[in-house]
Amino acid sequence: MPAQPFNIDDAFLFESMLGEEERLIMESARDYAQSKLEPRALEGNQDEVFHPEIPREMGEMGLLGITVAEEYGGAGASYTAYGLVARELERVDSAYRSFASVQSSLVMFPIEAFGTAEQKERFLPKLATGEMIGCFGLTEPNHGSDPGSMVTTALKVDGGWKLNGAKMWITNSPVADVGVVWAKAKESKDDPGVIRGFLVEKGMEGYTAPKTHNKMSLRASITGEMVFDDVFVPEANVFPEIRGLKGPFMCLNNARYGIAWGAVGAAEDCYRRARQYVMERHQFGHPLGSMQLVQTKLANMLTEITQMQLLAWRLGDLRDKGQGHHSMVSLAKRNNVGTALDIARVARDMMGGNGITGEYRVIHHMVNLESVNTYEGTYDIHGLILGRELTGIQAFTPLGNASSGDGATTAPPQVAKEVASN
Amino acid sequence: MRFAVCIHQVPDVAAPAQVRDGQLVLDAGRVVLDAYAASAVEAALQLKESHGGEVEVVLVGPQKAAETLRKALAMGADRGTHLLIPEDAALDSRAVVALLAEHLGGSEADAILTGKQSQDTDAGLVGGMLAEALGRPYVTNAVGLEQDGDSLVVTRQGDRGQEVIALPAPCLVTCSNDMNDPRIPNLKGIMASKKKPVETVEASPEAPAVRTVAYAMPPEREPGQRVEGDEPAAVAQTLVRLLSDEARAI
Repeated sequence: MPAQPFNIDDAFLFESMLGEEERLIMESARDYAQSKLEPRALEGNQDEVFHPEIPREMGEMGLLGITVAEEYGGAGASYTAYGLVARELERVDSAYRSFASVQSSLVMFPIEAFGTAEQKERFLPKLATGEMIGCFGLTEPNHGSDPGSMVTTALKVDGGWKLNGAKMWITNSPVADVGVVWAKAKESKDDPGVIRGFLVEKGMEGYTAPKTHNKMSLRASITGEMVFDDVFVPEANVFPEIRGLKGPFMCLNNARYGIAWGAVGAAEDCYRRARQYVMERHQFGHPLGSMQLVQTKLANMLTEITQMQLLAWRLGDLRDKGQGHHSMVSLAKRNNVGTALDIARVARDMMGGNGITGEYRVIHHMVNLESVNTYEGTYDIHGLILGRELTGIQAFTPLGNASSGDGATTAPPQVAKEVASN
Repeated sequence: MRFAVCIHQVPDVAAPAQVRDGQLVLDAGRVVLDAYAASAVEAALQLKESHGGEVEVVLVGPQKAAETLRKALAMGADRGTHLLIPEDAALDSRAVVALLAEHLGGSEADAILTGKQSQDTDAGLVGGMLAEALGRPYVTNAVGLEQDGDSLVVTRQGDRGQEVIALPAPCLVTCSNDMNDPRIPNLKGIMASKKKPVETVEASPEAPAVRTVAYAMPPEREPGQRVEGDEPAAVAQTLVRLLSDEARAI
């Protein structure tokens, strides 16, 4: 018998490479997620409910703004710790990880990185406790993968800016107290504008955030629009320095990193549930787990999960050492979410008819991961980011034939050349 | 009151485990704070929060058990003592008690709390033996703990009911996991625990007087008996006869 037993949940023992603090954070996040979130996830997903007490609970646990400095209410912990928390939340439901990702990476991170001292003091402590909810407005109805072509504008007026336009597919927007909104800031009507970040607060005149109904995925997360009709945003609510797509892309880089970890949790949950199911379910007089087809499916799942775990762990370690690169994040987000989606589909299949029902939970992961595969850079867009890295040629805008067609004459979108490497 | 809570690390019961060739194989290798000890820590923290005082946690274990000590500090304990034993040391209850008694002999703790038993062995020996070694009055299987001046008021779960016992300090109480729901350390607690004092003492445990020679799985339940037939009344009659005559259940 080998001295070291084989760990069927963590085959290459990646958890043993974590530091003591990271393991404690992982255990606390797991205890919270399993004891408090898991019992509500079925109702949340089936009935489209985001329980309103969850932000405060997460705040109490310290799960919001994990990497934010302690003086602003964060924990000042590592990127690895942040990733481990994302894994535990998404083990229950991608919706809960989405909430925490938006609050931490897309709202608290930019306020800490780009905000004024006054903005940090005003928003960060309340966002950390969950007393305030944040959202992030970049995507527009006609501008998803190509945010550089956004049409939301902010026109300079006396004492501030007037926002006009709309954002779509915005996690948390109907319940958010503050939104980090990216818009083309124009000094005058003829100015082509430059992308800047604005802090739009609930109750500002002309600002509405209607809810998006009938989502078939991420149903335990609230999604909506942000509509700006001559919304006056005072100068005090504008990020002073950051210009261009670098700002939102730095935020997305952090959130995508968390997603790469979250997908590990969702995949692990599907694998564990499928493994348990095939050991209990008997057909033809034998457990499903005794059948060759089923065993190789489990073996494939564990092999893929092991790769996902090691990829996520290594990426976190590199980011903590200041050696991360945004293309590493693209690689990990693309691989881990795409693979998790495949695993969820196979797990659903292994559970037969039972896998169709919500009680077995795997189908929730499966449909959630469809969104996760699309948002924060689709699977294909991350392929193109890597493709550009590999060839030096951007392929976001198809070159096609020189003609008067729409695509051929469009200027290449502002791509993330300037994104910081970590 | 000053509390000293004895804690230790056990294998995670939620992780896969199996018995092979008489040896216990813990596949995941995951270890956690013992659930009964966690309730003891929680009880001490609650009394500290309502009445003031201090909570020290004392752990006997190898180097890797330091993580469990830190978890108790992250929950809110003020300081910790790690009685460090070699990785391969196999201690029995007597050896554990000897180490704890040596450390707590001169302790000014008003109350020593332990779990009522350990989650892995279910032996339930350390609390009583430690009280005897220290000459402290003690109560076992507490499901409730209140403070009244210099005394503790302990609600003890018995077989047929509960006893409420006044226990003057200095004393010792063994705690049930039915007593409370131990808090999950939040990130602030985890980060703050780094700054809390931990004293590590290299301990020399006695050779164990008893040792576990093998492990075995509990015997499998025998398959049940299926009563079949087309006539419901006849099936019910057979069932009643079997339950009455064979199973003697009715």
